[in-house]
Amino acid sequence: MRAAIHRWLRKLRYQTERERFRQELAEELALHADLKLRECSDPAQMRREMGNVTLAAEQSADVRSFIFVEQFMKDIRYAFRLFAKQPGFTLVVILSLALGMAGNTAVFSTVNALLIKPLPFRDPGRLLRITEFYPKALLVYFQRQSRTMDVASVSPGGDLNVTGDGPAFRLTASATSANLFKVLGVPVLLGRAFEAGEDQPGNDRVAVISHELWTSRFHSDPDVIGRVIRVNEISRRIVGVMPAGFTFPSARVQLWFPAALDPRNAEDYWGGEFVPLIGRLRPGMTMEQAKGEVHSMASGVWSMFPFPMPFHWNSQATVMPLQTDLAGDARSRVLILLCAVSAVLVIACANVASLLVARAITRRKEIALRAALGAGRMRIVRQLLTESIVLAAVAGAVGLAMGAFGLQLFRAVVPADLPGAAHIQIDWNVAGYTALLSLLAGISFGLAPAVTASRLSLVEAVKSGGQRSSNTALTGFRDWLVGGEIALTLVLVIGASLLVRSLYALSTVNPGFEAQRVMAVRVSPDPSFCAQPARCIAFYVRLLDQARGVSGVVDAAFANTVPLDGLLPALPMDVEDHPKTAEHPAPMFWSGAISSGYLRLMGISLLAGRAFAATDSRDSEPVVLLTESTANRFWPDESAIGKHVKTTFEPHWRTVVGVVADIRQYNLNNRIPAMLSGAMYTPYAQSVDEDHKMPAVMDVIVKAAGHAPQAADELYRLAAGANSNIPVGKVVHLENLVGESVSNFRSTTWLFLSFAAVALILATIGIYGLVSYSVAQRTYEISIRLAVGATTGGILRMILARSLRVAGLATLAGLIGAFAVIRGLSALLPTDPLIYAGVSAFLICVTMLASFVPAWSATRIDPVRTLRAE
Amino acid sequence: MGKKTPASDLLPGTLDLLVLRVLQTGAMHGYGIAQRVKEISEGVFEVGESSLYPALQRLLLNGWLAAEWGASENNRRARYYTLTAAGRRQLTSERAEFNRVVGAIQRVLEMA
Repeated sequence: MRAAIHRWLRKLRYQTERERFRQELAEELALHADLKLRECSDPAQMRREMGNVTLAAEQSADVRSFIFVEQFMKDIRYAFRLFAKQPGFTLVVILSLALGMAGNTAVFSTVNALLIKPLPFRDPGRLLRITEFYPKALLVYFQRQSRTMDVASVSPGGDLNVTGDGPAFRLTASATSANLFKVLGVPVLLGRAFEAGEDQPGNDRVAVISHELWTSRFHSDPDVIGRVIRVNEISRRIVGVMPAGFTFPSARVQLWFPAALDPRNAEDYWGGEFVPLIGRLRPGMTMEQAKGEVHSMASGVWSMFPFPMPFHWNSQATVMPLQTDLAGDARSRVLILLCAVSAVLVIACANVASLLVARAITRRKEIALRAALGAGRMRIVRQLLTESIVLAAVAGAVGLAMGAFGLQLFRAVVPADLPGAAHIQIDWNVAGYTALLSLLAGISFGLAPAVTASRLSLVEAVKSGGQRSSNTALTGFRDWLVGGEIALTLVLVIGASLLVRSLYALSTVNPGFEAQRVMAVRVSPDPSFCAQPARCIAFYVRLLDQARGVSGVVDAAFANTVPLDGLLPALPMDVEDHPKTAEHPAPMFWSGAISSGYLRLMGISLLAGRAFAATDSRDSEPVVLLTESTANRFWPDESAIGKHVKTTFEPHWRTVVGVVADIRQYNLNNRIPAMLSGAMYTPYAQSVDEDHKMPAVMDVIVKAAGHAPQAADELYRLAAGANSNIPVGKVVHLENLVGESVSNFRSTTWLFLSFAAVALILATIGIYGLVSYSVAQRTYEISIRLAVGATTGGILRMILARSLRVAGLATLAGLIGAFAVIRGLSALLPTDPLIYAGVSAFLICVTMLASFVPAWSATRIDPVRTLRAE
Repeated sequence: MGKKTPASDLLPGTLDLLVLRVLQTGAMHGYGIAQRVKEISEGVFEVGESSLYPALQRLLLNGWLAAEWGASENNRRARYYTLTAAGRRQLTSERAEFNRVVGAIQRVLEMA
């Protein structure tokens, strides 16, 4: 060790005495030569015996220097000089690589924020999500039974009214178990978190608020602790403020309150909102143990309910890392994009490798000279590799900047309220990833050309000198590279085409309702507002009349939800002819509470029977409309009209008076939530909600005539002016809701499409470069062919045949790849043979076109001039 | 002329050992070292400059040799190398190691 330090110090000293060292060594070697000459007295023999004096001096100096670093620096300087001499080549290489790097940087920053960067909680790796949803009773059961985890619950959050001293407003609040913040391991900014026992009825009148709510509504007042606010008419004391950036379970949630656990209220305890459970592994416990425990605990819970539950309900429950759970659907989306963008980078690398191979052939004189002057093979490989790594590093830096610039585009891929979406940014993880990628790229596209170049025969190179002879091994390697590019491009373009096709299908789908010029504003009175139904009905009827009077409005209606707004009012039902059994408990129906004009305004067609009328009041016979699919499901062989359904908690049956068309109520791609077995509409005056009360929160909906920009403002003023204690939401345009419901998918598709486009451009450049280079290499041969009478067509055919062979084989490989990859994603993408065939044909056409330009120039060769020049 | 073996083709480190051993007898310049090795080995080892001078630098760097400028036979300046104390210790241990290895090779060659 000490010797090593001494050696190192001596090397350091040498750095300052380099010139003297050189002179002394030269003097020493000169003396050596003289002495030798005296001995053998024949200068020629002396020189022969001395061998390579320069090499001796160089190597002696190398012993003294930090050789690796010095050579590296020298190579880098040389690389930059070289690139400055070939700005066109350098620019093409750096740009194509930088494009790939930029895409990777941006996509990886999304992956990083959602899946890699640890959640901002204490020891986040030990946080788990218990899959499926559970009532309060099972939270308590899991909390008591689990040996491996501390279990907490958190509802996804619902909209509630907050009233206090200021005007009423509405926010998203989440009911949690009292231990949520302790399980997450997040300290509060002010005050305290919930304490044990605050989930007991009577002790639960507390709330913790978000930093955002604290700053926006409470002016960052530290005295907010202890203040009492009314949340949906329940007084709650604010006990804590969370730190900025705490967004759990989603960025929408602004307030948390304890879910009261009251076993005596069996209906709420067992049948209230089913919520997700999370757990923190106890010390020494592993995820595998937790998995096993949840499996055994969940297997029997279906039988514990005080009412029949589906056989083996939730018995497949398991655990997964909380981070994976939070990322949700976005996870697969960003991972697919990461694969796509990696493929683009691979294509870019293959392109650059192919260019470098070509250059290596033209550089073989220089390389031969280096070898002749005593450079070892490793030394040459290292120099060429340094060049490619320098290229990749520059491209990486440019790509990082471009990626940071384009990050906004990539944010649109994930829902904005996802926890972590706010953290999509360039940080050290991302910068490190890009740097590593650059290094890998530099090595991968530089290694093969460097090794092959260093292997070139010295004698051959020096002897032939000209550019004529082509190295078949290297050209074959280029064929493979370009073929691989085309194959990968095919996979990407097919994937993009399938995505675009589904996006197009979504944008042209008939949703079953007319969204054009329809606006809605949510009016949300407190729940008690409808304690006297007549008051509530009168309120909305009056609002409806006023809305009709707004200039530019042609029709108005109200309903408890509008299509695609994300609400899912659902009720457990009794259905005539379908008695409940243990295996088939009460089916859940989506339930729309609507005014009589709703179906007409939305353009939902009535298929049989009658629609609602103003005469369907609280005192008249209870009636209901079913959707077509619901009617067919329960009465496939007979008419549903005249049949009866009712909610499980109502005494009176409702008569089915009509059947209406199904619409895309929940999402545009018609995925029906698994919990639903049907859908119905009830007249508002006869409606009930989950709490067995008259629904209080309604959307007032209007349809405008033509262009009526002021109608939205007026609608808002109207709703807001009705009662200052009733919060009113923003006016939403139904067309925007339709657009937003696929916005993440649309962004994903466009990004994928742009990746495919970049891949296509790169592959085109690749095959163009390949063909034009081979034409340049074969100028002499082609001249001879022309001179001895080959036709232009013959030359053209000869050159195009070769690229057709490469493109054809690559397309075949790409098709196989595309089938394999896309079959794995079949849930996301339709398989359309026409697209496979069309894209393949298109790609072959593009490659032929790219080959045709240089092939045509080959036929223009003037054989006389070429042959004379040789 | 008999068959010559460049010293660098020997077992790794052998050239260093030969240089150290030659210098045990006293200070010597580069050419002298090469000549001495050639003479004693009766021309079997030809120490080329391209391996001798890097080796000398290596030994200097390790602190096993010291170098000093002095006058040569023909009154030119020459760098004379001498063994340091560390160099002596290194020579002893390397000779022991060398003997062990050569002995082992011999045994294998004779007995296997």
